Amino acid sequence: MSNEIRDVNLSPKMLSLANPMRRWLDRRGFFGDVAAGILGVALMDLDRVEAQTKNSSSNSFEEWQPGSPQFRPKARQVLHIFCPGAASHIDLWDYKPALAQYHGTPLPGGESFLSFQGKNGNLMKSPWPFVRAGESGKPITSMLPHMARHADDIAFLHGMVSRTNTHGPGCIFMNTGFVREGFPSAGAWVGYALGSLNDNLPRFVAMPDVRGEPPNGKANWSNGFLPASYQAVPMSAQQAIRNINPPPEISSDAERAARAYLEKVNRRYAEMHADNTELTARVSSYELAARMQLAAPEAAGIDHEPKHIKSLYGMNDPNPLKAAYARNCIMARRFLERGVRYVSLYCASRASGVDGLLNWDAHKTLKADYERHCPIFDQPTAALLSDLKARGLLDEDVLVLWTTEFGRMPTHQEGTTGRDHNPDAFTCWMMGAGIKGGSSYGATDDFGRKSVENITTVHDFYATVLHLMGLNHERLTYYHNGTNRRLTDVHGHVIKEILA
Amino acid sequence: MQDEPSLSGRAIRDLCASVVRMLAIVFAGTSLGDSKAEDVDFQKRIAPILSARCVGCHQPGKTKGGLDLTSASAAMKGGDSGPSWTIGNSSDSEIVARITPEEPGAKADMPRQGEALTAAEIVLISKWIDQGARWPESLVLKEKSKADAATWWSLQKLADVDPPEMPADFPSNWAANPIDAFIATGLAREGLKPNAEADKRTLLRRATFDLTGLPPTPEEMQTFLADPRPDAFERQVDKLLASPRYGERWGRYWLDVVRFGESNGFERNVLIDNAWPFRDYVIRSLNQDKPFGQMIREHLAGDAVSPDFPPDKIGVAFLTVGPYDDVGNQDPVQAAQIRANTVDDMIVATGSAFLGLTIGCARCHDHKFDPIAQSDYFKLQSAFAGVRQGAQTLATPSMISLRNRLTKPLDERRAATKARLAALEKRFQERVARQSPNDLKNWPKPVVSPQGASEPFPEKPILRIRLTILNNDRDPNSAVDARIDELELWTREPQSRNVALVDEGTRIEAPSRKPGDFGDAYAPELMIDGKYGAAWISPATPAVITITLPKRTPLAEMKFSSDRTGAITGRSPYNVFVGDYILEISQDGETWETIADASQERPAVSEAHQQARRSRAGYDSEEAAERDLLNGQLAEIDRETAAVPNFPSAWLGNFSQPPEATHVQIGGDPQKKGEKISPGSLSYLSHVIPGFELSPDAPEALRRESLADWIAAPTNPLTWRVLANRIWYLHFGTGLVETPGDFGYMGGKPSHPELLDWLASRLIVEQGRWKPLHRLIMTSQAYRQSSAARPEPMSKDSGSRNLWRYPPRRLEGEQIRDAMLATAGVLDETRGGPGFRLFQYLQDNVATYVSLDDPGPETWRRTVYHQAPRAARIDYLTDFDCPDNAQSAPSRVATVTPLQSMTQWNHRFTLRMAEKLADRVSGVAKPHERVDRMYVLVYQRHATEAERAEGAALAEQAGWTNLARVLLNSNEFLYVE
Repeated sequence: MSNEIRDVNLSPKMLSLANPMRRWLDRRGFFGDVAAGILGVALMDLDRVEAQTKNSSSNSFEEWQPGSPQFRPKARQVLHIFCPGAASHIDLWDYKPALAQYHGTPLPGGESFLSFQGKNGNLMKSPWPFVRAGESGKPITSMLPHMARHADDIAFLHGMVSRTNTHGPGCIFMNTGFVREGFPSAGAWVGYALGSLNDNLPRFVAMPDVRGEPPNGKANWSNGFLPASYQAVPMSAQQAIRNINPPPEISSDAERAARAYLEKVNRRYAEMHADNTELTARVSSYELAARMQLAAPEAAGIDHEPKHIKSLYGMNDPNPLKAAYARNCIMARRFLERGVRYVSLYCASRASGVDGLLNWDAHKTLKADYERHCPIFDQPTAALLSDLKARGLLDEDVLVLWTTEFGRMPTHQEGTTGRDHNPDAFTCWMMGAGIKGGSSYGATDDFGRKSVENITTVHDFYATVLHLMGLNHERLTYYHNGTNRRLTDVHGHVIKEILA
Repeated sequence: MQDEPSLSGRAIRDLCASVVRMLAIVFAGTSLGDSKAEDVDFQKRIAPILSARCVGCHQPGKTKGGLDLTSASAAMKGGDSGPSWTIGNSSDSEIVARITPEEPGAKADMPRQGEALTAAEIVLISKWIDQGARWPESLVLKEKSKADAATWWSLQKLADVDPPEMPADFPSNWAANPIDAFIATGLAREGLKPNAEADKRTLLRRATFDLTGLPPTPEEMQTFLADPRPDAFERQVDKLLASPRYGERWGRYWLDVVRFGESNGFERNVLIDNAWPFRDYVIRSLNQDKPFGQMIREHLAGDAVSPDFPPDKIGVAFLTVGPYDDVGNQDPVQAAQIRANTVDDMIVATGSAFLGLTIGCARCHDHKFDPIAQSDYFKLQSAFAGVRQGAQTLATPSMISLRNRLTKPLDERRAATKARLAALEKRFQERVARQSPNDLKNWPKPVVSPQGASEPFPEKPILRIRLTILNNDRDPNSAVDARIDELELWTREPQSRNVALVDEGTRIEAPSRKPGDFGDAYAPELMIDGKYGAAWISPATPAVITITLPKRTPLAEMKFSSDRTGAITGRSPYNVFVGDYILEISQDGETWETIADASQERPAVSEAHQQARRSRAGYDSEEAAERDLLNGQLAEIDRETAAVPNFPSAWLGNFSQPPEATHVQIGGDPQKKGEKISPGSLSYLSHVIPGFELSPDAPEALRRESLADWIAAPTNPLTWRVLANRIWYLHFGTGLVETPGDFGYMGGKPSHPELLDWLASRLIVEQGRWKPLHRLIMTSQAYRQSSAARPEPMSKDSGSRNLWRYPPRRLEGEQIRDAMLATAGVLDETRGGPGFRLFQYLQDNVATYVSLDDPGPETWRRTVYHQAPRAARIDYLTDFDCPDNAQSAPSRVATVTPLQSMTQWNHRFTLRMAEKLADRVSGVAKPHERVDRMYVLVYQRHATEAERAEGAALAEQAGWTNLARVLLNSNEFLYVE
């Protein structure tokens, strides 16, 4: 995961010195002591050097090398909130008065249409009213009263479209830009491009919901074909970093002595093979691991938060699912404060034997299901946003993303009071550093069936995210199996309209 | 032209254009000068320029500036700045203005990327416009790929090369192996000298890891060190090549290449338990030194080339061991897309594994870099159009008939016995019905509906209620899977209300299905949370639900359902409801009163349920004796049947003739049909080897077989270059071509092209067998030299691309784990068969994989036998860069990360191995000697005096296990020199 944890210590000047040297040296290159001293960080950064060697061999026309932004960024970190299961745009964010007006009548032109689970019935209005929020007067479902208070800070993307109507591919598409497996997630790309802000914590953290992993599981935070160090480290209130502590039967004295001797043995070998920089890096990686062993529990220490913070988030709520998500929300803030580059926070999980409890996939009983999900999501998320804002982290640091894999049909699924999958229309939003709050971009048709105005693809979405991070999405590439791959595939346009 | 603001710029550009033209005429002694009177031939002279330099950004689907330059009409229609040219007037033509620099030496506006057009090219285009810009309407340009089939190095015939003369001043032992002549020539050209031969210890450790993935044992090391024969190393190589461990090591690499995984990936990601025969096939094939051409044929068409020999037939599983989405989709457009993606995986895997080309890039359009036409992609799609995922029984027809002869009498006996049991049951049912002829009348209520069963209560206050579910409405013998979305208790009062609510203080106890990742997914509280939708699911037979109210309450009615809203129609695993049940109430919480009992009055849901209910009345002793006798006979028949060997079922794929011909999918969209495609050879090699073309409706298997023959042909230069390079790659850590899966424009160029062709030719001479090539490479001095670093060559060639030293490297993840097991003396070398798991497998509709904290001895096998799920994070394997295999992994990187160190240092597996290693040396009494013994096991060398003293000191302070733990974490253990 985070081997180049120390990039933050490199001044731009040092980086400019480091880059040509890095290119000159390949990963098994010869390092004199002096160079090793200057490039202590680069020693930690072997996978990146590897990447550069490969990139430079493939007629790359760029001068930029990973490790710093390509131009002045508007945001330095990302908080990515993901509601798996396809959270319904027309029941949460995308107000469609026509749905109520034409409730119970057929969707014009939609009679013979087959969606994911088959036939659909008539138009179905949202079970709850929408309420105008903030100075912008943005209509938000009355089921999200806490979130509504942030309406003036949010830029809504109402014209989103996906390429698939299936949860698994949909989730990885939203996270990696590809519907197939094996591609790096956005957090891996950002970590690869920018490195870490913190010496002792992973640069990319995935926080699955207490209810389990999202559809397609760990592929959502995979490094794909990037080196293994770029995958997310799963770390949440219900799940500490794996293997962070030695087995308990090893006494602390024995542990200390063994560690010290390991370092001695490894240093001796590294000195005998001074040409091989990996060996020194391995010595350092054990030191980093020891530091992370201390830093990670500190970062995760939500129990020390003051009472008013706990109650702001709903950490002690009687609803155990809400309390669990609230704990993760507080922890997410602590990670961001401590410089984790990319936090992927999930609210809900996978498909299960019964719809309704584990995720937002409301095929049959939309009203009952969302009356479960909205209260879990609403207060803790809103508290997290308020808290980040109060601490000034949304000005120049944290870009907040809210996403889901696709939308839902404006009709009810035949024979049910739920909605089927709709890849042709959904809403995502952004907030925080670099974002023009209180704005809406793109629109669906009168019923929310299809995006029709300023249609926004997942690639546009990430072109914009990378732009805010100081990266040109067309220039952030990695050679893999025959082509220079991008997070945005061969597509994507920056959505200038939502930039502050 | 519409860009008026740049008028002055325009004027300057026009001037420049004139100057350029003039200059061109002055300097054009050749091509232009003599063509003065001739018309410029569009197809020969202009089209290549436009294709190579303009069409990349100006074509349908990618119209930068709104411009499409692929046809005359589109070009005249023009883009945002108007038509591309004015016929007959080049100086008033947008294109000329755009490609001409504003002043000499400046960069022209176009092309934006890549080099500017030459003056000669600009003149040519101008002249063509002036002559009338004739462009045949039927001629549509395509973007020219960067590499050209006629000239790209990897697409040419293998060069007929002989080893070069050995350069002067090379050690005499470099003269024996032809490989060394190539390497030495390269070194001499760079002014580099090779290292001396590595010491024997280093050499044997290197070779043993290289060929078997394991360290040499101390005994093997001792024997080798004591062998004075000059060919001692050659003998060792032969021995290692003959070891079955060879296939385990090199098979692992091939499994990376063919993206072998044992779960389907995507949302469900369920384990495939019968894919392992393919893994064993790969290992076996390599151990047999099977000719590679045969492997190719088996990979692509094993069912056709070896229909009657399952061990080889299984190779065809190659096509279906990649990830695929198996979530059902009613949307036909999406379903077609998913199917196209599934076949895409086969196409991409085939291109990468055998041809080293990224054919997948030609799915939506002609390949941008390599000369692969979109139609080539669809030729492969037509070859695989009849292939689907699935398992098949592995047996020949004669095996099947033999087995049938053995099992037929048993089957007959079983049928007869079952018939007698059925007759007994029938007699019993009739007797019970006769004895209580009115039992149907005893069950007067209608069948309970999943949308709500109602049960009235007597008039008394109730504290507790117990619902015992005897079976579900599908299976009279099981209550498992019965679900209740809501259970309500309505009060006996004018404004009746439901008090069965968690929020009202009501408590509920019941077992529930508990998925491993989230035990509360089907918790009993979901029955009394006041919301439909989510539901409790029964895990047991019977299932007992006990409800306790906060206080004694007069109740009127209980109501419960599995699908209250009626959302689920038809029989579905998602609406299994309660069948028979017993309902009891208690006023005091201790004594129970039955108020509804299935055996008396509950409705019957099916004939099977009615019979089961009658059966609860019980067989009499005579009937029971007969039943027991028959059941005993049945068990005996089953035992005899089990003794007849059964055929394994293997993940082989299913093959059927596609109903229709394949068409090009325009833009890669299955809904946009283009030209019809005939299965055939790929066009970009047509200039070097004979191709084939079948009819569009050719038999499915013939398509794959023909393709395999074409790929495996000795004259196919790519196949053999790619294979030679892969073998070289794994021996040295870097291929002669750095990108083993990509021999196209974006890949690397060979460091030693003549050597690559010579090795490829050797492979062909050896009929595609790998082992002779291993032997040749490993006995070269290039391989045998030491890895010592010398400052001078380090500064010139730090990566040792010229092989002035053997490049040292870290072990791969599997090697690290296997070496730990071997060093600890506990490696279980059981070969083949179902894999072991380093994860807990949680399946609840979809699969979740949780890495094990303390894998037991049953997992102490070689890592190649690990059942390999996709998108799972497995300690050690993921940490040490073992690929996920969602896509082909032709090479691996070796990262260094803190998480890797954490796992290696803290994981209980390390502790277990350290304990075993400490045990293994515990027989050595003296501490210094014990340290030395440990060193010999871990490093295959003796400890120095200092190391003995330090080790003994640590052991005294922290225990021998901790010394072992340190050594198993040490760089010296993890690196091969």
